Amino acid sequence: MKSIIQNPGAAINRLRKYLVMMLLVLVMGCSMTIESVIQPSVINGGETLVSTLHVNITTNAEQTSKFMIAILVPKMWNAREHATITFTSDITSGPQKMTAIPAGTPAPQADGLDWPAKLAATIGNGGNLINDWEWVAYYSDADYKVAANVEINATVTVSIPTTEDNISFKMGYVAANSTDGLSGTDRYGSFFPGCLRVNGTGDLIDFCNPQLSTIEPRTSLDNDIITINFDAGVIANPLSSASEVYLCASGITTDGQTIDACAAIDKTKLSSLGAGRFRLECWPRDFFAVPAGKTLQRLEYFFTNADGSVKVGYGGGASAFIYTFNCK
Amino acid sequence: MIKKLSIAVPGLLLVAFLLYSCEKEKAAIPTEPIKEIDGSWKIVGAQRNGTDMINRFDFSKFRITFSGNTYTISNPVPFIQEGAGTWSFDDASYPFKMNFQENGGNTKSTEIQYPVKNGKRNIVISFSPGCAANTYQYTLEKEN
Repeated sequence: MKSIIQNPGAAINRLRKYLVMMLLVLVMGCSMTIESVIQPSVINGGETLVSTLHVNITTNAEQTSKFMIAILVPKMWNAREHATITFTSDITSGPQKMTAIPAGTPAPQADGLDWPAKLAATIGNGGNLINDWEWVAYYSDADYKVAANVEINATVTVSIPTTEDNISFKMGYVAANSTDGLSGTDRYGSFFPGCLRVNGTGDLIDFCNPQLSTIEPRTSLDNDIITINFDAGVIANPLSSASEVYLCASGITTDGQTIDACAAIDKTKLSSLGAGRFRLECWPRDFFAVPAGKTLQRLEYFFTNADGSVKVGYGGGASAFIYTFNCK
Repeated sequence: MIKKLSIAVPGLLLVAFLLYSCEKEKAAIPTEPIKEIDGSWKIVGAQRNGTDMINRFDFSKFRITFSGNTYTISNPVPFIQEGAGTWSFDDASYPFKMNFQENGGNTKSTEIQYPVKNGKRNIVISFSPGCAANTYQYTLEKEN
């Protein structure tokens, strides 16, 4: 402090040096932008979803890195095993291969987190409302040396075989490199092209829109503990302002037997979470007293008030919500 | 003579002291005690797919009682086995796995941890009673 006061010229020089160093730290490396994503809004279940990403990379320093592309997908697609990603660019010749990064591989500058965990922590879930999504990250097979102060354009082709599941899902894409990772918002590009509708078979699994009722985990058997959620505020319904909500359910076994649990008692009463949200934890085998040797195939359920005079079903109407037990 | 003895005796004692003062130490190798789990255990922690469930589902009445190599379950909840049977550790001193064989049924194994929490022995087990993708982790604490 004393020396600064005594020699203001030296202090100004030192400050200038620090500012230049800070500026260098800020501009070193690559900045990445996903400028556009071409993706269909509707496909049929079982088809391959093909998306094209246009990525712009601007370098401020020479760097040798792998190119990284990550995709946000529903777990049921098992994209890590089935998806393929290639790219072309200004500095390469022909399609360049990319390979899924094994889970557990630390992402750069991520405090030991692997890519899926770092992507989930930094980028999030893309607005998907059912917790059955995953990030899958891919590295280019080759390392690429890029010069300082150049602009590179890359076109990425993502091909993901889908399943027969009937879903709507908000896809997400991230581009980065193996040196900078997700260390700064200018070091990666992200893009969320909106809700993709996959017309498949079975009940609609809607990741995009709030649901009056959901069951967690998304896939389960009757020997799991399941959580039945009721969000009375999603759409206008006769229980929108109810303070007490009960479950009125039928368990249907694989051999067609129906077991009812519809009395308004403690066992069927949902816990209030506030703001019109309720939930009930339930072990279906015990809840429905399923006889030994039998297995529940599905649930058909409504929500009711205490005296049973009001009954709310799918979409707020008179049809039952349906939940099928399976592990797909 | 007395003078000679007064020199010789302390000298002999010094030699004897030096000879026997460097006796080889017999190192005692510590042995890990065999894990005794006989008694009644309750669930004090429960997670489903990493979500804390202990205050969301009623686990309070569940008990598993170990006696010798057998176990019984009362007030069941989803567990690695539904009925009574026999159990074993993969290693009695350094257990990493616990095997449960239901009477007349097959054997299911679970990786375990065996920590002491709040001065009480715990067993932490993981298993999937329904879909394999749904994992449950229970922390069992011995009663009394």
